[in-house]
Amino acid sequence: MTTTEEAVERVAQEPARRSRVRYRPGKGVLVLPPLLLVLALLIGPLALIWLYSVGLRSNIPGTVTSFTTANWKDFLTGPGNPFRGLFIHSMLITLTVSVLATVAAYPLAYFLSFTARKHRYTLLLLLLAPFFTSYLLRVIAWQIILNDQGVANWAIQELGLQPKGHAISWLIYSNFSVSLVLFYSWIPFVALPIFAVLENMDRRLLEAAEDLGASRFTTFLRVTLPLSLPGVIAGFVFVLIPTTGEFITPLLVGGPDSQLFGNQIQAFFTNSPDWGYGSVLALSLVVVVIALMLVFGRFLSTDLRQTSGGGSR
Amino acid sequence: MSPSQTPFNLNRRSFLTGSLGAAAGAGLLAACGSPSAPSAGASVSRPPISKEPGNLSMLEWGGYEAAGTKAQTAGMTVAGKSYIDRYGANSVTYSYITDDDQALQKATLDRRFDLMHPCHENIPDYVDRGLVQEWDTSLLPSFGDLNPFLMEAGQYKGKQYMIPWDWGYGSLTYRTDHVDPADATGWELAWNPKYSGKIALWSGASTNFEIAALKLGIDPSKMDNLSDSELEQAKQVLIQQKPLNKFYWESEYNQMQPGIKSGTIWIAYSWQDTLVSMKSAKVPVAFMQPSQGRLSWFCGFMLGATTSNYYHAHEYVESFINKAACAQMTNAFAYGTSNTKVTPADITDKALAESLHLGDPHAIATTAHLQSWAPNRPKLLLAWQEIKAS
Repeated sequence: MTTTEEAVERVAQEPARRSRVRYRPGKGVLVLPPLLLVLALLIGPLALIWLYSVGLRSNIPGTVTSFTTANWKDFLTGPGNPFRGLFIHSMLITLTVSVLATVAAYPLAYFLSFTARKHRYTLLLLLLAPFFTSYLLRVIAWQIILNDQGVANWAIQELGLQPKGHAISWLIYSNFSVSLVLFYSWIPFVALPIFAVLENMDRRLLEAAEDLGASRFTTFLRVTLPLSLPGVIAGFVFVLIPTTGEFITPLLVGGPDSQLFGNQIQAFFTNSPDWGYGSVLALSLVVVVIALMLVFGRFLSTDLRQTSGGGSR
Repeated sequence: MSPSQTPFNLNRRSFLTGSLGAAAGAGLLAACGSPSAPSAGASVSRPPISKEPGNLSMLEWGGYEAAGTKAQTAGMTVAGKSYIDRYGANSVTYSYITDDDQALQKATLDRRFDLMHPCHENIPDYVDRGLVQEWDTSLLPSFGDLNPFLMEAGQYKGKQYMIPWDWGYGSLTYRTDHVDPADATGWELAWNPKYSGKIALWSGASTNFEIAALKLGIDPSKMDNLSDSELEQAKQVLIQQKPLNKFYWESEYNQMQPGIKSGTIWIAYSWQDTLVSMKSAKVPVAFMQPSQGRLSWFCGFMLGATTSNYYHAHEYVESFINKAACAQMTNAFAYGTSNTKVTPADITDKALAESLHLGDPHAIATTAHLQSWAPNRPKLLLAWQEIKAS
C-alpha cells in the first residue's frame, strides 16, 4: 500500500475510532465561557436598551409602559430633527479625524520600520509613552495648552503672530480643538498596525522591484503601499469605530457647537428624565458601528489574504 | 461525523439562536425588573444608632463635601458638633452632582443614598418616585431654630421631606474690567453679540428656560410652567444664544470660576458664592441685578427611603443646621441659611450680607423669582437636548 493509500485508509477508519475514544472537550467548549460572557454583557444590555427605545421599559418608577415607535420615527423621519443633524456632524468630524490620523501615521510607521532600524522599538516606546498616563489627564492637559491663556496662545503672541492680549479663541471649545485632541489621542493606534504590517513585509519584493528598474517612488506606490493596506485599513478602523461614540474629548475641549453624538447619548442618560430617546440614539450608533465593521472587515480580510498569498500567485 | 457536526462546535445558526434566546431572556428579566415606586415614609422598627452601619452615602453638590475644599469649614468642622470628628473622616462617602436633573437621575438609579441635597423645586419628583422618606424633626435639636417659611416650603403632602439649609440667588456674574456696566442691566446681556465667545451659561436645563422666559418678558410667576408655545419661544431664543457661549459650564469650581479668573469667560451664570471666590482671588466682578429680577433658590437635606443609617443621617444634618455651622457656611459661600439664630453680627462681610439680604430668607421670594417645580419637566428637558444638538 502506498503512503497516500495508507493515509486515505486512516481517514476512512477515523469515525469508527472516534466512537471508541472517550469524549474530550473540544474547541466548542472552550469558546462557551467567553461566548456566554458576551451574551450576558453585550447582547443582554442591547436587548434592554431596545426595550427602553420602544417604550417597553422606563427608568422612571411608576411609569406605565407600552410599545411605541414614536422616538424611532421622530429620530429617523422627523423633519429637521436636530439629533440627526448632530449625527451627521459627528460622522464628518470622525471621518476627518480618522483620515488625517491615518495619513499622518503612515510616514511615522514608515520611518520607524524603514529608517529607524535598530532604534525603532525605542522610538516606538517613546511614541507610546504619553499613553501610559490617563486618557482623561491627557485631554485636560490640552485644555491647559489651548485655552485663551494657554501655552499655545502665549507662544503665538510672543512670536508676534497675534497682538498681545488678543487670544485666538477658536483654539479651544471648537471643532478644531475636538478634532486636534482626537487626532493626537489616536495616532499611535493607527501607527501600530501599519508598523506591524511594514515590519512583516517581505523586503525581497522591494529589492526585486528595484532590480526591475522601479524608482523608489514607484516601488512605494506599487509594492509597499498595496502590501501595507491591511495595516492602513486596520488603523483607520481603530480610530473610526471608537471615535464614533466619543464623548470625553468634546466634553472637555468642545464648545456648545462642537459636541458629538456620544455627548448627546450621555446627556440623555445622565440628565434626561427618560432613557427612551437616548436608547434610540444609542442603538442607532450601534447599528452604524456594526455596519462599519462589516464593510471594513470585508476589506481587511480580503487584503490580508492577498498579502499572505502574494508570493505564490 | 464531520468536524462541523460535532456536538460542541457552534455554527452560526446555533450562535444566533443562543444569542436571541439570551436576549429574549434578558428582555423578560428586564420587564420583570422594571423599577416601581416604593411607598415612602412607612413606619418601621429601626435598630438603634449603635447597630447601624454608619457609612453614610451622600449625593452632594461639589464644594460642600469635607474632602479638602474650603467647604469643609462649613458644618462638619464645627468644634464639638462635627460629624466627622465623632465618626471619622471616612464616615461619609460622597457622590457628586452638577445640576438638578443629573441629581434626580442619580438618585433614581442608585437608591442606596442615605442623604441627598437637592433644591426644593425637585421635592415632588423625589417623593413621588419613592426616593425619600420624611424626617423625624424631634431628632434634630436645632430644628426649632430654623426658619418656618423655609420649613413649610420643605414640606410635601403635609410631611417634612426636606430640611432646608442653604438659599441664594442666581444671576450673571461679569468681569467689570471687560464688560461695560451699561450692558449689564438685564438678562439680555447673555444675548449681547459684543461678548460672543466670552459667555458661559450653566448646563442646568430648567434654569436656562427660566432665564429665557424672563428675557422674553413672560410673567415670572409662569417661568416654570411655560405653555407649549412659550416653551418653543424660549427654545428658539436659547438656540440663538447658544453660539455666543464659550461653553455651558458643568463644574462650578473646575470650569466656571477658573474661566472667570483666567479671563477665558467674562460673563457666566452663577450663584453668589462666585463673588466670594473672585474677591479672594482679587478678580473684579459684579453679580448682576437684572431689570427682570434675579432667580432664587433654596436647597436642603432629604433622607433616603431605604437608608440603613436613619439616626446617623439625622446626626449628620444636625451637624449642618446648628447655628455655628450655618454661620460658617454663610461666611464661606455668602449663601443664606435656614437657621434664624445666625445674625448679621455673625457675618464677616456686612456689606455683602446687606446687599444680598442674607438675614432674611423671605428675600428669595420677595426680591427675586423663586425657582419652582416644573410640571412639564420631560418636555422641557427634551427641548434642552434639542437646543444642545441644534
